[in-house]
Amino acid sequence: MPDNEGLMDRFVDRLPETAFFKFVAARILTPLWAWWTPVKPLPGGPHPSFQHGDNVQCMMNLIMPLKDKSPVGRAHAAMAISQHKDAIFAGLNNVGTVHFARFVIVGDNICMFSVYDGDFTNYIRDFIATIGEVFDAVVGLVEGGEKVIPCDKNVEAFIQWVHERDLYQVPDTPTDFLRDQERLNGDKAVAPVNDDLTLLPRKMVLQLRANANVSLGSGYRAYPGYSVAQVRKQLGLGW
Amino acid sequence: MVDPPTAKRLVQVIHDNLPAPVGERRPVHTIGIGVNGRFVASEVARSYCIAEHFDGEPVDVSIRFSNGLGGLEQHDGWSDVRGMAVRFHLKNGTGSDLIATTLGEFFVRNVDDFFKFSDTAKREPFRRRHWLLKILDFLQLKIPQRNPYPGETQAIDAGALRYANQHRFSQLGIFQVGLIGAPASYARASYHAVHTFWVTAPDGVRRPVRFYWQPVAGVRNIKPTPEPCEKYLFDELKKRLKRWPARFMLMMTIGEEGDTLDDCTKPWPGTRLRIAMGTLTLTEIPEGEDQATAGERISFNPCRLAPGIEPSNDPILKARLGAYEVSREMRGGCPFKWRADNA
Repeated sequence: MPDNEGLMDRFVDRLPETAFFKFVAARILTPLWAWWTPVKPLPGGPHPSFQHGDNVQCMMNLIMPLKDKSPVGRAHAAMAISQHKDAIFAGLNNVGTVHFARFVIVGDNICMFSVYDGDFTNYIRDFIATIGEVFDAVVGLVEGGEKVIPCDKNVEAFIQWVHERDLYQVPDTPTDFLRDQERLNGDKAVAPVNDDLTLLPRKMVLQLRANANVSLGSGYRAYPGYSVAQVRKQLGLGW
Repeated sequence: MVDPPTAKRLVQVIHDNLPAPVGERRPVHTIGIGVNGRFVASEVARSYCIAEHFDGEPVDVSIRFSNGLGGLEQHDGWSDVRGMAVRFHLKNGTGSDLIATTLGEFFVRNVDDFFKFSDTAKREPFRRRHWLLKILDFLQLKIPQRNPYPGETQAIDAGALRYANQHRFSQLGIFQVGLIGAPASYARASYHAVHTFWVTAPDGVRRPVRFYWQPVAGVRNIKPTPEPCEKYLFDELKKRLKRWPARFMLMMTIGEEGDTLDDCTKPWPGTRLRIAMGTLTLTEIPEGEDQATAGERISFNPCRLAPGIEPSNDPILKARLGAYEVSREMRGGCPFKWRADNA
């Protein structure tokens, strides 16, 4: 046993792992701190960058809650995708900047996860220009979707709608997460400052309360820095 | 390069903050083990860098793994930064060094920062935080201070945290130190060279790059315990190499226009081009007097580089050039040829 460790020390060290503390933290402390120190949800999508490597293989993680939260509602969503598979694939080919894209049902959400090159707004604009009708079928099943149908006639509203449902991408480093929060609050200081690094867990908990679904880290890339066009050209795949 | 008095002062402030004098040993990364190995560059390495060890011919290599703490006590199981210093032995008797640690980013940007950090992060009495205060931390959803290890009465933790709280550039490095843990093996950790270097390709193109070693066996830390094992890393490595050679991949990340080149506190995004430059195979651990040479008397310098690799203007990298030589002279380490004519 380490020096001068008493019974209460051992008990308190194990306290965070107990069901009692987890209950208190989730049901009392988190709502209390969220009320006392409100946190704004961080915006979704990739972080703005002017650099080449940050503008290829960008991630979109779109989570869309279904109106009909039942197996029948999920089946409708599955059918909407499968019925339009040819249109989706043709549209993605025509967009030309998409590495991967897939639709997934998670719980009562229809999700679209994709990896694309270039500007987010251009990606969505190109996408609905080519498969707007498909998106109408999908978005019609989603909470709040009726506001942006038909998508190809409400382009800017649709882009904003997608952006609001694109997950916040938690940075690769914990301190970049703190910088994101500071930037959102208009704080750009570097030094001297009066931070408290030990508050990181609370900041993360409160952000995850405000932003329940997030993407963790920038993700792994086997060939970072290359666009779809470069990969296809290198492999001799043409268009 | 910093002037000689500054280089001496850099080394002296490290000595001044040690728990006890270390004699003619390194003031940090004091405990280490020398290993022999071979490096073979990948097929693509030579197209990015003309340095001799990237031409594809196998190169003999000396490696020193170390614990980051300064002092003569080993403390393998403590959460601590680990080092991996590598010398590529070149044909003309010179060498090219690559010094890396398990820390992804450093915590100061330049020499002035380092002196200020050293002033703030001095060793202080370190006691277990009272349980009532820990409960208060938990109620605030804060991280409580870690418990001291058995026999640990002083630490720089509080000062380092104070410095980080005042200087955002240092927060990532200091945060990483706090969570770094203890590796299951020296061969199961990733090691980062931290600084930016410039490499020259056969076509004359110069690229800013950062190097890191990735263990082929995978990264693995031990589970933290209140009473960690003091000594296991040397024996583990010896047993491992008797069974089978251990390998590391040398990875090189290429920076882009706009990336920070001269500030080792700032990481580059994971979206940068990543090149596999080659494989290092650890083959044997010298014994006896050979181990003293390979593990203690050997001296590395991050600015000892083969033609084709150049240091960036990172002020910490430039300061290390002089500070490592001062430290070598203070401990009577082996001088090593910088160039074929040793000029």
